[in-house]
Amino acid sequence: MSDMSKPIPLNTMKTEAPDNAFRFEDEPRSGRLGFLEILKIAWRSIRANMLRSILTALGVIIGVAAVVALVSVGNGVRQNVTNRFSSFGTNLLTIQSGQSGFGGPPGLVRGGATQTLTLADAEALRDLKDTRIEGIAPASQSNGQQVKAGSNNTTATVIGSWPDYEVVQNAEVQAGTYFTTDDVDKRRRVAVIGNDIVTELFPEAEASSVLGQSVKISNVSYDIVGVLKEQATAGFNDPNTNIIIPISTFSQRLERSEYKGEPTVRTITVKVADARDVSAVEADLTTLMANLHEKTSSDDYDFNIRNQASQLESVTAVFSTLTLFLGAIAGISLLVGGIGIMNIMLVSVTERTREIGVRKALGAKPRDILSQFLLEAIVLSCAGGLIGIGIGMVIAYFSTSALSVPFVVSIPSMVLAFAFSAAVGIFFGFYPARRAAKLDPVDSLRYE
Amino acid sequence: MSSAVLSLKNIKKAYVMGETEFWALKGVSFDIHEGEMVALMGPSGSGKSTLMNIIGILDNPTEGDYILRGENVSDLDEFDRAEIRNAYIGFVFQAFHLLPRLNLLENVEVPLTYAGYAPWVRRERAMDMLNRVGLADKWRNLPSQISGGQKQRVAVARALAMNPALLLADEPTGNLDTQTGNEIMGLFHSLNDEGVTVLIVTHEAEIAQQTKRSIRLRDGLLESDRGHEQQRPILHEAVFGGAP
Repeated sequence: MSDMSKPIPLNTMKTEAPDNAFRFEDEPRSGRLGFLEILKIAWRSIRANMLRSILTALGVIIGVAAVVALVSVGNGVRQNVTNRFSSFGTNLLTIQSGQSGFGGPPGLVRGGATQTLTLADAEALRDLKDTRIEGIAPASQSNGQQVKAGSNNTTATVIGSWPDYEVVQNAEVQAGTYFTTDDVDKRRRVAVIGNDIVTELFPEAEASSVLGQSVKISNVSYDIVGVLKEQATAGFNDPNTNIIIPISTFSQRLERSEYKGEPTVRTITVKVADARDVSAVEADLTTLMANLHEKTSSDDYDFNIRNQASQLESVTAVFSTLTLFLGAIAGISLLVGGIGIMNIMLVSVTERTREIGVRKALGAKPRDILSQFLLEAIVLSCAGGLIGIGIGMVIAYFSTSALSVPFVVSIPSMVLAFAFSAAVGIFFGFYPARRAAKLDPVDSLRYE
Repeated sequence: MSSAVLSLKNIKKAYVMGETEFWALKGVSFDIHEGEMVALMGPSGSGKSTLMNIIGILDNPTEGDYILRGENVSDLDEFDRAEIRNAYIGFVFQAFHLLPRLNLLENVEVPLTYAGYAPWVRRERAMDMLNRVGLADKWRNLPSQISGGQKQRVAVARALAMNPALLLADEPTGNLDTQTGNEIMGLFHSLNDEGVTVLIVTHEAEIAQQTKRSIRLRDGLLESDRGHEQQRPILHEAVFGGAP
């Protein structure tokens, strides 16, 4: 029939026309409906039933918004946790009392656990003089201590440690110095104070000008030897309200608990110089600690050693899984949205049976009708996808700021959600569209 | 006599209902020539609608040949049928069947759109057609904003848009009052005078009297085919028996 789709010879209406007159028969015809035309038809029918179209797309909107918001918030939380961990440094090993198996953050002491870690353990580690180890810092901690200077007072976290605290915790001084090993041995009352403590106790004073002044902790006076640099809030304490004092002074003046006659410490943190040695050092420390505590089986260990890197890995893995899981749940709602589109499209095909018949009588091919309805479904779901991305971003923005985690715009999750919604449109739009395309023109013209 | 626009040769159509076959058309043959105006008549059940669907290439005959403009179009798939309908047949329906969301100009453009003409070609041609039926000034209106007679005029403009070989009107005055109906018939007559070949399917004798030729069906067979100058009885060579 190829010759029949060419321009039809004009053989009726023999009106003599001038040469330059418009004759549509002379114009080129593609013999097929242009994509823009199909889009226009689809858009018109969406617009004609605006409320219904919006309600239909709502399933997809909610689905996509949920995916985008959840993934974004999930990523924000994950990034926040990652930030906290990396501010501790990833080549740290933290020794704590109690058996391992609890993946909490370092420094968090479990209630009820007997403190079996002692200063003697830390000294034994130091005596190894292992060159792979850059620093060792035992730490005891007292939260919510009232600190005074003159008439001003504030609350601080007082940490007893060794001078190595500086390298191990990346807690450098902006003014002054850390206390020395000698200060530790002689239990001197000296303190390195956080930046916020300065602001609270010595308003409008320069950091360097407070050196040599004294602060009172539990009515004991300490000389300020250093002021810590301002640090980003990381971990579960604000490092800017920390006061670091020699651990010997801490156990003498603030808190003293003993285990087998030795003062206990909450944690011993070891900084490994080269991140590649972390596992080897961890194994050696485990053996040494087991010997010190006279434990033969790992089931009896009364200590545990945490590796920051592997902990970070396991925490991010947990968050990734969680994010994926939530995303999958949101994906299901997207699927439900797709079924909604299919449902409405089926209704729409039935409703417009006569229109389909008329279009076919006027020369619409099955593929024209198929494209019209398919495109209608795709436009609905893609518009739903775009609106959903917008709403999801807004939700993510407000949730992340409420949770005070970073607002992470996850482009892949948006692209994925949008592609998925387009796929939903194609998948769930195809069956109704094919049904429309297959309608018999005679029957559909007669349809009331 | 001028050449045949369409030629039906022993057209038969069977519908299968369960195990029984029902022959709606039992062998119908006639020609329609260039520039003719023909009425197709018959009581319900005569096979009139079935024949109209076949002539309009909405359906294929079970047997027989349908030659349209020299091409045998009796055994085509839906894709080719759509193309032939688009290019050769202009439909006018009893219930107008304008698309409600499109304005009058866009309604007339529909067949041109499916033919794949460029937008400006469609627009120009559709405007010409609206002008031809006297509704060019209302091109922006929606079908709901105009009267029944005007709707049928737009439908005629749409049917003419592709300059079809045959204008096929199914009860074109059925939904109109007598006066408006007469106006529409007047439009058909003037189009016919301009050379458009018209086939009107109707059950109204008054309409049929206005045409130069009327074909009457009964029980799936030709009952009569009256030209305006002569009435000739149909001699059936059909397998299923002759005329009553």
